[in-house]
Amino acid sequence: MIKIKDLEKIYRTEEVETVALNKLSLEVKEGEFVAVMGPSGCGKSTLLNILGLLDDPDGGSFMFNNIEVAHFNERKRADLRKHNIGFVFQSFNLIDELTVFENVELPLIYTGVKSAERKKRVEEVLDKMQIMHRRNHYPQQLSGGQQQRVAVARAVVNRPKLILADEPTGNLDSSNGNEVMQLLTDLNEQGTTIVMVTHSEHDARYSHRIIRMLDGQTVLENIMV
Amino acid sequence: MIKNYLKIAWRNLKRNKGYALLNMAGLAMGMASALLILLWVNDELAYDKFHANYDRLYQFYENQTYDGKTFTFAAMPGPFAPAAKQEIPEIEYITRTDWGTRHHFSFGDKNIYEWGLFADPDFLKMFSFKVLKGDTSKFLKDPTSLVITDKMAERFFGKDDPIGKTLKVNSDRLFTVMGVVQQPPVNSTIEFSWLASFKIYEGRNQWLRNWGNNGIQTYAQLHENADPVAVNRKLKDFISNKDSSTIAKPFLFGMKDWRLRSEFEDGKQTGGGRIEHVRLFSVIALLIIIIACINFMNLATARSEQRAREVGVRKVMGADRFSLVRQFFGESMVMSFAAVILAGFIVWLALPGFNKLVEKTIEFDFSNPVIWAGLPGIAILCGVLAGSYPSLYLSSFNPITVFRGMRAPRGSAVSVIRKGLVVVQFVISIGFIISTVVIYNQIKHVMNRQLGYSKDNVMIIPLRGGMNEHFTAIRNDLLATGVVDNAAKSNSRVISLNSSSGDFRWNGKDPSKQLLITLEWVSPEYISTMRMQLAAGRDFYPDATRDSSNVIINETLARIIGKPNVVGEKLYRESGEELTVVGVVKDFVYGNLYKEPEPLVLFCQPSAVNSLLVRLKDGQDVPKSTAAVESVIKKHAPAYPFEFRFMDEDFNNRFKTEMLTRELSKWFAILTIIISCLGLFGLAAYTAERRTREIGIRKVLGASVTNMVVLLSKDFLQLVALASILAFPLSYWLMHNWLDDYAYRINIEWWVFVLAGGLAMLIALLTVSFQAIKAALMNPVKSLRTE
Ligand SMILES: Nc1ncnc2c1ncn2[C@@H]1O[C@H](COP(=O)(O)OP(=O)(O)OP(=O)(O)O)[C@@H](O)[C@H]1O
Ligand SMILES: [Mg+2]
Repeated sequence: MIKIKDLEKIYRTEEVETVALNKLSLEVKEGEFVAVMGPSGCGKSTLLNILGLLDDPDGGSFMFNNIEVAHFNERKRADLRKHNIGFVFQSFNLIDELTVFENVELPLIYTGVKSAERKKRVEEVLDKMQIMHRRNHYPQQLSGGQQQRVAVARAVVNRPKLILADEPTGNLDSSNGNEVMQLLTDLNEQGTTIVMVTHSEHDARYSHRIIRMLDGQTVLENIMV
Repeated sequence: MIKNYLKIAWRNLKRNKGYALLNMAGLAMGMASALLILLWVNDELAYDKFHANYDRLYQFYENQTYDGKTFTFAAMPGPFAPAAKQEIPEIEYITRTDWGTRHHFSFGDKNIYEWGLFADPDFLKMFSFKVLKGDTSKFLKDPTSLVITDKMAERFFGKDDPIGKTLKVNSDRLFTVMGVVQQPPVNSTIEFSWLASFKIYEGRNQWLRNWGNNGIQTYAQLHENADPVAVNRKLKDFISNKDSSTIAKPFLFGMKDWRLRSEFEDGKQTGGGRIEHVRLFSVIALLIIIIACINFMNLATARSEQRAREVGVRKVMGADRFSLVRQFFGESMVMSFAAVILAGFIVWLALPGFNKLVEKTIEFDFSNPVIWAGLPGIAILCGVLAGSYPSLYLSSFNPITVFRGMRAPRGSAVSVIRKGLVVVQFVISIGFIISTVVIYNQIKHVMNRQLGYSKDNVMIIPLRGGMNEHFTAIRNDLLATGVVDNAAKSNSRVISLNSSSGDFRWNGKDPSKQLLITLEWVSPEYISTMRMQLAAGRDFYPDATRDSSNVIINETLARIIGKPNVVGEKLYRESGEELTVVGVVKDFVYGNLYKEPEPLVLFCQPSAVNSLLVRLKDGQDVPKSTAAVESVIKKHAPAYPFEFRFMDEDFNNRFKTEMLTRELSKWFAILTIIISCLGLFGLAAYTAERRTREIGIRKVLGASVTNMVVLLSKDFLQLVALASILAFPLSYWLMHNWLDDYAYRINIEWWVFVLAGGLAMLIALLTVSFQAIKAALMNPVKSLRTE
């Protein structure tokens, strides 16, 4: 599903040039659950942003479903993204002005799903995430774990093939964290490909494979059994 | 502490340079326009106040009632002044003057027309025109002496002493300069460059001896403790007691009302007049200030989220609410004073243009109270107005909520107020747009009115020297030039026909009804030169003597007389004069351009005229034609500088007030829309900034740029739409009232509202979408990182 070769990303500011990704190569197969680990600043989030078509690389090749997307323009990337990829962030990134229901509904609006169908599907995932009873609450009124469940619900409501999660448990205590990890595992078992950045060895053990990064390069791959 | 506040205020300004500038620019523009308006208002209110006895000075007016309707005139009979001074002890001084004339003066090789008055000796005792040279007690007594202003003295004699010098007037009479007074200030109702004895005027106008002829102005100063009410009581029947056939009832009209409250209706002062403009403009000044302050408030509260953390920290550190209120107030004051300095600069720059627009000569002068008190006054007013609400709001934040990162939820009081204020701004802006369009249309409507004559290509030339007597020769010479189509003479200009009389009778007229009829004296070529049409009968014969007791009347009078054939009808006047109607001219618009024509009689009396009317052939080169006319006139009146006006210019001058209102309305519309949009621009920027994260999330979830622009612009456009809906009935009502003063007027059409609302929406959309597009194009990775 994902095939990356010699991927480069360089951040230039006035004083310094930061090489965030240095000729990184990587492959993720359909149905895999991959964990990305490494010290802070090694480029994990940068990688995930590029995988999620939020950012474009400065060099190298990126095949998504056998299509070269490294040089896609904003419009094409957005189109590919909204139909194929779901995101879960460490800081949830829910919209404060919208209710739980409206937050989850958002991706469906942008992919043009009809209102009745939207309602059905939102209720379905909220049910699955066991957050249905909070559907009319605002994000500020929820606990961290509940907020992340809403974020996961939002990521999956469009039935994406790929879910990208950047430290999904980073802001959660262990029991809430485990709950979220269980959700991701369930989704993976139902066929969704997952790439997850994490600092926790415990969380990483839910995955099939751990990619270890250092200074913008993969240094090691552990296959879980 | 103060230092700390100022430091924070300064850093805030520096950090948010763009917004600080927006804020200041809007505020300064609002302040500057308010200051300009206040300068105008102050100038209007100061009219005539330089007279030491301002409170005791009056002009005599009189009421005349015809057919149940009372008309008010400033014209008085000639014998009134001397009689009143003798018989009414409250009167300290009294003077008559004519209406003012321009005469031709010459001294050596200097030839200049100067405007002046014939007045009685009391004139300079009662009015405080400063005497610079000469013996006041002798002024205006000797009919060969003159008092001139310093400006006129300079024009003729330069630096030389004018006293005792001789000026030739109208190239025949000689006058000796006996005194010099200072040029009347610009805000004086009475204007003149020279004053001459009223005896001269009296000597030339025999009709002045009659109590029944009202034709001059009369002014009085009452004694210190005199009661004007008692004087009015004595005045009421003063004239009718002298001549029982008159119906004029004189009364006192105080100087304090001359300029601003000169409107009369049915014999009573309405309290209206220019004061309505003064009030209206004061309100507009306040509105503009409010619009500018709204920007300030909105930007301050919108920015509040940025400042919430600071408030929280300060509170945790022990700041009480009062000290925070003080801090934020301090900031708005700093801003306001900075803006007023900018505003002062704008006023200084704009004043010449403004003076030209409103025809004044106001100077940027620190002795003017509007400048020395107005500048700081406006700064404090705006500081308080703009600072009060934001400082109360900002200081109310609860530190715990702030640290948890809670935002003011949607629909909270503060955002409703913010929206309400934006709506207020746009209601005012749209109102001004609508007014501008309506006024514009009304002026166009009246200017294009079918007048019943052709006003184009007609030169009006004052008859000077022997021009009147040599008319036939002049006319022949003019026609011989080949550029002149026709020429005639008339007494008044057609747009200001104002002589009228109520003494006409005819067989079958209801004797209980008196009818005021307008009179005009013309030469036989008048109707053909003006290109008026005859409805019945015939035009005057070319030989005027054949028609000396014949008249032509207009259709309106013919209708009032009400006979199937009025040609041949006899009209009788009080004096025993018997006139025969020989023709009926189709109604033409004269005098008030907004009214239907009133009854009129045209006399064929080519000697009682003031103006030469020269109709040029159509489609000729205008400068060449006028030059040809000039050479003819020069030949017949070589002593006089050639002067003329075009009739259509004269006509356009009639719209000065309306044009000024239109210009001002236009400027107010532009200004308010600019200031409102500055605010909107700032608000949109803040909204976009505040919603950066949300925009990022939405983009991650698949929103397109169009989605985002719609999302960000929608709210603002809804506000402008709401403002339009509110502005429509309001401005309809206002404009309906304005138009009500004009009998000949347009209907307010629906497209005006669509246009104004659409324009406001379009401008708002452009303003907002700039920010929205900028925000929507932002890379979501960046916006999510800023969290
Ligand atoms: N917009 C940016 N401008 C400049 N440098 C950046 C930018 N974004 C990331 N970097 C730099 O690129 C490098 C990789 O950053 P990245 O966010 O991918 O790290 P990370 O592995 O996700 O770290 P963490 O575990 O702390 O989240 C870092 O050195 C970071 O400072
Ligand atoms: Mg990271």
